[in-house]
Amino acid sequence: MDPSDLPLTPPATAAVVTTPEQDVTTRDVERVERALIDASTRLPVLFFYASAIAWLLLGTLLAGLTSWKLHAPNLLADCAFLTWGRLRPAHMNVMLYGWASMAGIGTAIWLMARLCRTTLRHPLLLITGGAFWNLGVILGVGGILVGESTGYEWLEFPPYAAVVLFVAYSLVVSWAMLMFRFRRGDHIYITQWYLLAAFLWFPWVYGATHVMLFLTPVQGVMQQAVTWWFANNLLFLWFGAIGLGTVYYMIPKVIGRPVYSYHLAAIGFWTYALFASWTGMQRLVDGPFPAWMITASIAATILTIIPVATVGLNHHMTMRGQFGLLRYSPTLRFTVFGAISYTVFSLVGVVLSLRSVAGYVHFTETSVAYTHMGLYAFFTMVMFGSMYYIVPRLVGREWRYASLIKLHFWSSTYGVGLMVLMLLVGGFAQGVSMHDPSLAFTESTESVMPYLRGRSVSGMLMTVAHFVFAFHFGLMLFGLGRTASVPTFLNPQEEEALEARL
Amino acid sequence: MNDNSPSPERRVRQGMDYGETEDVQQVHAAIHREKREPHAGLEPLSLWLIAIYGLAIFFGGAYLGRYSGNFGGDGLDPFVGVAPSKKGPHGPGDAGPAAELSQADRGKKIFSANCAVCHQPNGLGAAGQGYPPLAGSEYVNGGTRRLTMIVLKGLQGPVTVKGAQYGTAVMQPWDKTLSDAKIADVLTYIRQEWGNTGGPVTPEGVAALRKELAAHPDSFTEPDLKAVPEDANLPGGEAPASKPGEPPKPAPPPKA
Repeated sequence: MDPSDLPLTPPATAAVVTTPEQDVTTRDVERVERALIDASTRLPVLFFYASAIAWLLLGTLLAGLTSWKLHAPNLLADCAFLTWGRLRPAHMNVMLYGWASMAGIGTAIWLMARLCRTTLRHPLLLITGGAFWNLGVILGVGGILVGESTGYEWLEFPPYAAVVLFVAYSLVVSWAMLMFRFRRGDHIYITQWYLLAAFLWFPWVYGATHVMLFLTPVQGVMQQAVTWWFANNLLFLWFGAIGLGTVYYMIPKVIGRPVYSYHLAAIGFWTYALFASWTGMQRLVDGPFPAWMITASIAATILTIIPVATVGLNHHMTMRGQFGLLRYSPTLRFTVFGAISYTVFSLVGVVLSLRSVAGYVHFTETSVAYTHMGLYAFFTMVMFGSMYYIVPRLVGREWRYASLIKLHFWSSTYGVGLMVLMLLVGGFAQGVSMHDPSLAFTESTESVMPYLRGRSVSGMLMTVAHFVFAFHFGLMLFGLGRTASVPTFLNPQEEEALEARL
Repeated sequence: MNDNSPSPERRVRQGMDYGETEDVQQVHAAIHREKREPHAGLEPLSLWLIAIYGLAIFFGGAYLGRYSGNFGGDGLDPFVGVAPSKKGPHGPGDAGPAAELSQADRGKKIFSANCAVCHQPNGLGAAGQGYPPLAGSEYVNGGTRRLTMIVLKGLQGPVTVKGAQYGTAVMQPWDKTLSDAKIADVLTYIRQEWGNTGGPVTPEGVAALRKELAAHPDSFTEPDLKAVPEDANLPGGEAPASKPGEPPKPAPPPKA
């Protein structure tokens, strides 16, 4: 059924003042529209989510091995494809392109359809894009494990896998663009800015880097400059933009309040686009580069305080007075955790980028902590939150067990918290002992050992979280969710919970 | 608002989406209880936030200035302070940018910027508009004095170059525009390019002639030039270019 057949009223974003009866009709039509949109996005989004979660499990296992090998180096060291040098890039790339990108695309498609108020045409073609994407990741990870890694951080996929990924990406994004082209209503919501930007930034960042590293390689150490520019831009402009866009949708949607300020959102978006794209080279402090290149990145990192403060304030003011709802809504809890982590992650990033600090901590475990703050505490948690919101709408069931959601949340939270703490502190300890010329290098590595063991423990917590979530998602996928008209609240409903419409 | 159930027909239409037989109300529970799509309020910017912007911009700018290494390629990390600046000021009379470029290379840049419009990049001039050629010209290949006179003070009236008559165009004086070093560079360039065979010109020689001609009010004409012997050189003579005209050795790289 074509939604344009429906007698639609102006977009709900305008403050419609109507009589109660008219209001009922408006809402009714909107509901039918939403149902149609959700039905049209059901297969592709679920396909992307299911693939993402499968990759998440594989990536978690690889992460466990990677982490364990750092304090038990003899573990599985006899197989060439299970050596640390291959497992680590395999883990990172599975998480980046398998889990995070696929989850992000799934959420982005759904949000785009909802906000453009248009059904997804030919959803099966989008599934083809998803299948190609999976193929690209399989080829890439296989390539890394058999030893064909390119050796560039975050770009270890051999070029043939990158080509497949790029084809898949074009298939997927043209769909998002088409939806945007056929949007209805003249209002473009903040989330759409971020999603559209992310969809345009990714091919630019990914493509430009591949041209500069593989097609016409730049010379010598400049390849490292390109690599780190890519890594930070992927983190900020691809994952960061999708994550922020999702937060901008989920928080106001769940609590039923408008976003605090349009002006703040606009400033936050444009300054983010302007400054975040300059970052990356601060990871190369003291490297053999002209000082101004690194300094420019550090200055840009300092300037990201502007978008971070703006966006953080905007979300905080939107949430103000509604924090009690975190007791009940799983979506809100994961999303707000992610939004707070974004602020912390960015401010820690500013501190770590300064020369006086970076001199100690770069090239240590601290940069691993930094990456996990961005990709896990922020992005992954926001993705979990959006999945808790979207999946019930796609399968027509509610999440089965509140206890599993709680278990998922707390093991993820404690897991990532412990990991970041261990690696930040451990990285500082490592950096300080590496700076001490009276200590042998081996002593600096030995000083990190307790922290690395702690990291493995935190990884176990996260493993529990992911398997619990995957199990719960599987239940939903096979129609074993609850059929009820009330959502699955985290805690028994009290009076205030009636406000939470997750 | 859940008690405001839709009409029965609509329920059926909604239920068709999933093709399931459960109670429509239940299947669509999530959609029914959902709030409207979010929109943005219009709260103004707070002063505190603007103060934070200012601080971030100040701090970032100060950092950029402090550690920029003059934005040069030779100010390398590990950062040990500002990269050594170029030796000496770049005013007139200076030997120009202390780069590794030869005198003729520097002259080429000056030629492209100032001379090539009329005399053309290939040095052949434009006979149609009255611009004489430099390639193979007797004025260019001969002594340096006449050539420098033309450039310093300009030339007007008819002039015969390589047997052809030119002169509908006027050459402007360059003594106000180009420093001695630049004139020396560009003359050295045109005397060695396009098959020309002249020797280098020194900034000192140009300076001496500039002083000598300081009182000369207007442009030269062909008779003025003919009055000067064809092979007369500048006061400094064709001194070996290496001594004063050569740029100082490139600055030693900063010690890490």
